[in-house]
Amino acid sequence: MNKTWKLVRTIVKMQFSLAGKSTSEQIGYAFLFIFAIPFSIFIFYAIDGIVGGLYNILEPAGNESFILGLLFISMFVVLILVSVGSILSSFYFAEDIESFLSLPYHPFQIMLGKSAVPFITLYVTNAAVLAPGLIVFGMHSGSGVLYYIYALILWTVTPVLPFVLTAIIVMYGMRFLNLSKNKDRMKIFAGLFTFIFIIGINIVLRMNNSSTDAGEDLACLIEEQNGLLNTITTFFPTAYLHSITLTDPVSARGFLFLVLSLIIIACAFVLYLTAGQKLYFKGVLGLSGGSKKKFDEEKITKKIKQSNVLFISWVREMRTIFRTPTFFTQIIVQSLVFPVLFIVVILFDSNGGDFSISSLGSMVEEIEPKRFILAMTGFTVFALGINPASISSISRDGKSWFNHLYMPIKAETVIMSKVWAAFCINLLTLLVIGAVAFIFANIPIGIGVIWFGMSLIINWITSVAGTTLDLYTPNLQWTDEREVFKGRLIGILALIIEVVVFGSIILFLWNVDWLEGLWMTSSILTAAFILLSFVCHLILKKVIRTHYYSIHQ
Amino acid sequence: MIDIQQVTKEFSGKTAVKNLSLTVEDGKIFGFLGPNGAGKSTTIKMITGILPIEQGKITINGFDITEHPLEAKKRIGYVPDRSDVFLRLKGIEYLNFIADVYDVPTDIRKKRIEYYAKSFGIYESLNDHILTYSHGMRQKIVISGVLLHEPEVWILDEPLTGLDPKSSYTLKEMMREHANKGNIVFFSTHVLEVVEQLCDEVAIINNGHIEFLGNMSEMKQQFQEDDNLEKVFLELTQNE
Repeated sequence: MNKTWKLVRTIVKMQFSLAGKSTSEQIGYAFLFIFAIPFSIFIFYAIDGIVGGLYNILEPAGNESFILGLLFISMFVVLILVSVGSILSSFYFAEDIESFLSLPYHPFQIMLGKSAVPFITLYVTNAAVLAPGLIVFGMHSGSGVLYYIYALILWTVTPVLPFVLTAIIVMYGMRFLNLSKNKDRMKIFAGLFTFIFIIGINIVLRMNNSSTDAGEDLACLIEEQNGLLNTITTFFPTAYLHSITLTDPVSARGFLFLVLSLIIIACAFVLYLTAGQKLYFKGVLGLSGGSKKKFDEEKITKKIKQSNVLFISWVREMRTIFRTPTFFTQIIVQSLVFPVLFIVVILFDSNGGDFSISSLGSMVEEIEPKRFILAMTGFTVFALGINPASISSISRDGKSWFNHLYMPIKAETVIMSKVWAAFCINLLTLLVIGAVAFIFANIPIGIGVIWFGMSLIINWITSVAGTTLDLYTPNLQWTDEREVFKGRLIGILALIIEVVVFGSIILFLWNVDWLEGLWMTSSILTAAFILLSFVCHLILKKVIRTHYYSIHQ
Repeated sequence: MIDIQQVTKEFSGKTAVKNLSLTVEDGKIFGFLGPNGAGKSTTIKMITGILPIEQGKITINGFDITEHPLEAKKRIGYVPDRSDVFLRLKGIEYLNFIADVYDVPTDIRKKRIEYYAKSFGIYESLNDHILTYSHGMRQKIVISGVLLHEPEVWILDEPLTGLDPKSSYTLKEMMREHANKGNIVFFSTHVLEVVEQLCDEVAIINNGHIEFLGNMSEMKQQFQEDDNLEKVFLELTQNE
């Protein structure tokens, strides 16, 4: 047991250690923490609205235990969804997995070690949703100290069951999958799954107007369908036990159900260890083995042809992005999040809100062309500013950055190939937004063409600016590709700089009276952007001179 | 010719290489030896332009690596000690990329890719991603890439590590052949037998200083005739 504990501690220490992390990364974490405070206040009030709404309706009929039942069931589902990706990633896809296999440990011990980090991260979700839910319920029901003690115990053990069940199912599934062939593809599917999950959650939230209404709607639903809810709790026995424990904490029944809950969880944990011992290694061994494909000489010969160095470097960048699962999900999928959310906002704002199809259509007709083009430009800046392709241009190369240095390629060529890659990926975002704007918002062709032309310049500027920032402060010392994006301040910094610079131009033009009409506004905007792009190039050139050869030292 | 004059390199206050000078003439295989952390890789990285030089000067066939980096680099073929090159590319894509960088025409690159890839036994793996290659295969693809443009100066940082005996033999033969044509092979290694077997000249570096520079017979003369290279190496680097 002592050896297992040491392994768990070492793995957790390696994952959360700040050693080797740059100051900017550390500041990034500090900022994330600071941003989390207002966010958690917002969540608390949202949950208060839902739980409060439900409580007012259910309490008179003595049905308030359903709130807790619902809370624990939804928590169970959410924790399972969150666990899938992190278990797959930690158990099977982590680069360090092979170094543990050779150590004299039982499979269940290594599995426990690899479980530690994904399990700990579940507590973030647990703290964000369940903790305020339980506190709010306690406040509304006016419960005593015993409620809060039981709530704390149940809160602590809640992630165990969903995690353990997910891990057993994943290990069982991986036992039969030929992972060595599909490792990368699996990672991409996991990324896409998260993307669809985010969009799905957004659609569900969009369908309701306010959290209080949502609470009341849900309460009506439960009153109507009591039978159905009871059936659901039979599938989640612990949710039933937890709810009864907390609605009636002072009774013997409450205590008994608490003990019963803990016994079930302990049994599940033992089952988990047994499953790990029997299944874990079967899925993980042979993970790094290559697959033998049929050799096609003609295919090889066809690929051998001379190309321009800038073009072939751009091709290399694009291939790396598309073929590296983390880059694919963080860059390509991420760049689609904003435009797809945009579509969701337009299509699902069914109540005729500011962004519904009908109001957008009338807005196009009502608003003066100058302000319309300025607003669209601002929107484009925001959509492109949060794109991670450019701000990871240099960092993506990691420790192999030095390969650019001994080859006879000009520094400018290498950097421009990266700028072009970011530009082309951002183009995807622009095309989706453009298509939506044309199809749903009936934007006149003339305005559309001007907007697209201007967006191309903005795209170029953001690509150059992001690459410059990444060259100025890159993260090349990563061991896992996720570190290129995780906890770095550069994304927020790029967005702030771009919003401030473009925002000032847009705000200035918005307020000057002498500027009127579509053509004049767009001409001045274009001129300003071309000047801005020139300035960005000058800065990039300077940063290449000062940083290109020294960043890897 | 590789000409290194009074080169110094510091890393955050610690001197990695101090006032290092040496010249490698055409037609020679030059062995660069030293214990771990002695300054071998730092020197090689300065010769290839990966690390900027703080003091001193390095020229490759007359081109200063700082003043005319592109011209100097075109003359070099470098095999790094880590073969983590563009792992997401397929073998053939990597070789094609390298050939484009060094302006190798299509018809010539076709012949050379086939020749080198077959010599190292990786031809049938060219359509696979480098990520799926073993350490030895990665080493072989990098070496094949380096040889594609037939550079005048080969700089190899521990090139034999991870190679199977057949590929190791092939590479050593190629090194000899290359030097015999009047070119330079500059390589670092820990395998002393290879140095005895291959090198025309040797330098031993320790704590950033050259401890010995000369040919093999001079080295043996300077020390006791009956000593083997291992003993000489240990004696020279014992103050580590």
